[in-house]
Amino acid sequence: MVEASKDSLTDSAGSWPAVRHIIELVVSACMLVAGTMLVVLIGTMGWLVFGRYALNDTPTWVEQLSLVLVVWITFLGGAACVWRKSHLGVDFVRDALSFTMQIVLRLIASALMAAFGVCMAWQGGLLASGTWARRIPMLEISEGWRAVPMVISGGLIALFAIFELASLVNHLLAVRSRNIGD
Amino acid sequence: MGLILLFGVFFFSLIAGVPVAFALGIATVLTFVYEGLPLFVAFQRIMSGISVFSLLAIPFFIFAGELMLQGGIAVRLVRLASAAVGNIRGGLGVVNVASSMLFGGISGSAVADTSALGSIMIPVMKEKKYDADYAVNVTVTSSIAGVVIPPSHNMILYAVAAGGVSVSSLFIAGVVPGILMCVCLALAAYLVAVRRGYASEAFPGWQVLAISFVVAIPGLLTAVIIVGGVLSGVMTVTESGAFGAIYAIVVTALVYRELTWERFITAVLASVRTTSLVMMLVATATAFAYLLTLYRVPDTLAASITSISDNPLIILLLINVVLLLLGMIMDMAALILICTPIFLPLARDIGMDPIQFGIIIMMNLGLGLCTPPVGACLFVGCVVGGVRMDHVVRTIWPFYLAIIASLLLVTYVPAISMFLPNLMR
Repeated sequence: MVEASKDSLTDSAGSWPAVRHIIELVVSACMLVAGTMLVVLIGTMGWLVFGRYALNDTPTWVEQLSLVLVVWITFLGGAACVWRKSHLGVDFVRDALSFTMQIVLRLIASALMAAFGVCMAWQGGLLASGTWARRIPMLEISEGWRAVPMVISGGLIALFAIFELASLVNHLLAVRSRNIGD
Repeated sequence: MGLILLFGVFFFSLIAGVPVAFALGIATVLTFVYEGLPLFVAFQRIMSGISVFSLLAIPFFIFAGELMLQGGIAVRLVRLASAAVGNIRGGLGVVNVASSMLFGGISGSAVADTSALGSIMIPVMKEKKYDADYAVNVTVTSSIAGVVIPPSHNMILYAVAAGGVSVSSLFIAGVVPGILMCVCLALAAYLVAVRRGYASEAFPGWQVLAISFVVAIPGLLTAVIIVGGVLSGVMTVTESGAFGAIYAIVVTALVYRELTWERFITAVLASVRTTSLVMMLVATATAFAYLLTLYRVPDTLAASITSISDNPLIILLLINVVLLLLGMIMDMAALILICTPIFLPLARDIGMDPIQFGIIIMMNLGLGLCTPPVGACLFVGCVVGGVRMDHVVRTIWPFYLAIIASLLLVTYVPAISMFLPNLMR
């Protein structure tokens, strides 16, 4: 397919550094928001325990808030982990294949991730709009807020996957034109 | 055809390099489209999968474990174990196992155990002329104590996947099998140490032992609070997890004074990462499991296995072998969520208690964390120890045998796991 070494696959990480930098900032923001939410989650749940056992007055809104927070933490952190490649995978089979097969599978994997991200954002949007008029008990905010992180996460996952796909294609084209030039 | 598509897309996505959580999601979505089912339902399942109150305990356990890494609890537990059992032949190997039992019992995570204790124990063992492969072998295999000895967030995943098994019963059921496994591992560590001619440490004296114990008490209390809160019925598992996390902050910041602001932020971000990895798996595996039920996979599999043999002993052996093979190539959390609805009905049919089956799953899939080609603990241990994986795997078999022996005992002797839960009932 293309005369390039295995190491050159990782060279695609050098494509479009400015865009990459912006994505890094977005990912850090996601982690920061999710981290803050985790601290709030722990603090409010601690308040629930204190209220129930020390004050004999259970703050019932905490349970509902916690369920909303954990969804936000999952989807924001989940998207950030896609970019940072922290999700658990089974790479050893792909890595044992020929170089050409590895490239083909990488392209397919990125395309599948992009398609899933778009699907998640689209369906998350439908979930949010479909439940927007309802209120979450105790919190008195829209039920749709539960699905909003799915839209954000799906959008980000699609963006990251499309960027990876474009970087890889761009890199392969660059290697090919270099080979033709030689 | 739909079922072939579901598993075909799942395995193809995995081979292509798609992360497990998303491979489950992609396979589910494509099968929904193929069957003409409303896609809306798939994503509703994904959302509802993580909107479960008892799952809220998972981020708390993970955060408490990260605080222990950052806040100096692990070091104190190693000192206690070293003072208590260091004078046995090949003492640091046995110290390593004992430390895992104490640390794993608090953090509830095998990977956290490998990373925390490995970074303390492996350099010390190498300095004392222990071979690096031995140090990594002991660290990696004993880390399974983290998923068997309570509290363990994997047990909460199992409780949810099993459709409401009591978490407190699972917690108490894990105690004896966890200790049994650690004893078997300590025996293996001792025998290998004798064969390789490792020396023992000098006994530091009762006074040092007593001081080490007193210093470790505040850290040990984290587990007592979490497990005690659940077992006593005073708190729910989520509440006791939150209380345990807050207590860990207080101990590491105010008692041990090792939790700086930077370390706190590191612990928070690491917890977000691990929580989102586990919960994304839970989310997509819930939708995947919905299709498994729709296709009656548990019934079909039960029929296939019972067609091989209707002897419960053989059936249990087959289940264990399948779980072991799957554990070698896939992550524990995903397998708990996928395999529980498939194998639990079969286990129930042959008269096994879901609590005992839960402990078998913990031990079996825990072993998968230490086996190539996909073993999170093995990877971490090799990195920390600076040893190649093939070098470690060549000499790890006595430790695998120790775990398999304890797994078979727990499988075929129900009293080992069920004695304490039955006592509670």
